[in-house]
Amino acid sequence: MTQTTEQTDLREDVSLDRPWVTLVWDDPVNLMSYVAYVFRSYFGVSPKQAERLMLQVHNNGRAVVATGNRESMERHVEAMHGYGLMATLAKADE
Amino acid sequence: MSRFTTQPDGTLHGRFEPIEADLLRLATTQLLEMLDSGADDPSLAASDGIFGRLLPDAYRDDDDAAAEFRRFTATDLLDRKAQNAQVVLNSLGSSEADTDTPDSSPDDDSDDLQPLTISLDPDAVQAWLRSLTDLRLTLADRLQITPDGVVHLLGDNTPFLRELYEWLGMLQEELVYTIDV
Repeated sequence: MTQTTEQTDLREDVSLDRPWVTLVWDDPVNLMSYVAYVFRSYFGVSPKQAERLMLQVHNNGRAVVATGNRESMERHVEAMHGYGLMATLAKADE
Repeated sequence: MSRFTTQPDGTLHGRFEPIEADLLRLATTQLLEMLDSGADDPSLAASDGIFGRLLPDAYRDDDDAAAEFRRFTATDLLDRKAQNAQVVLNSLGSSEADTDTPDSSPDDDSDDLQPLTISLDPDAVQAWLRSLTDLRLTLADRLQITPDGVVHLLGDNTPFLRELYEWLGMLQEELVYTIDV
């Protein structure tokens, strides 16, 4: 994986044509049932998909739960923090 | 039988032993005080420790962007977490958090040992789910639980805190299963 170290003032321009992702990270506190529930109720995914994402977080340490522009990923991350989940956003190719 | 039952009007009823309700009130009152202290002092909210977990970095490899995100979201997030905690206290029938005499309990009455039945509308359920998470996050911080899930706090109160931590998890799971059949 490569790491980009671009200037802050370029970031907005870059965000227009490169998608961002919302990542949810594994943590020792949140229950698997709760995490799957959050994915279902907030992202509106099917129970099966929510279970798959939850297991991905659990087994791989993280999962991409949304893709889109930077602003909407920031909204998702803020919502995840509201639920108490560890979430970050990053450029899709990082 | 589950602690929580769905009513025909869509609300949930939850049954608590008086000691459970007291414990939850106490823990939630402490959470609320902590959240208020963070709201009063932004530098506290930006620090590590429990606030670092309640308001985690939104960017892993960009400190500036993470700080900016925190600047724009911390106040709202802490406000909402405090509101959620207040909803929990209100549903338990406590106004203790609003008074400056937190040691006066309305439940000192010793013949008041009946289980408490509380009613939660869908908004209150959401507040409960989130607040139970915040309670567990703060307890995990106190218990020094590492990413592998191991408790590192060695103290006289460790067994109690640990039991409370597990109990809050059970409570949350029961709530999730009740609303999510």
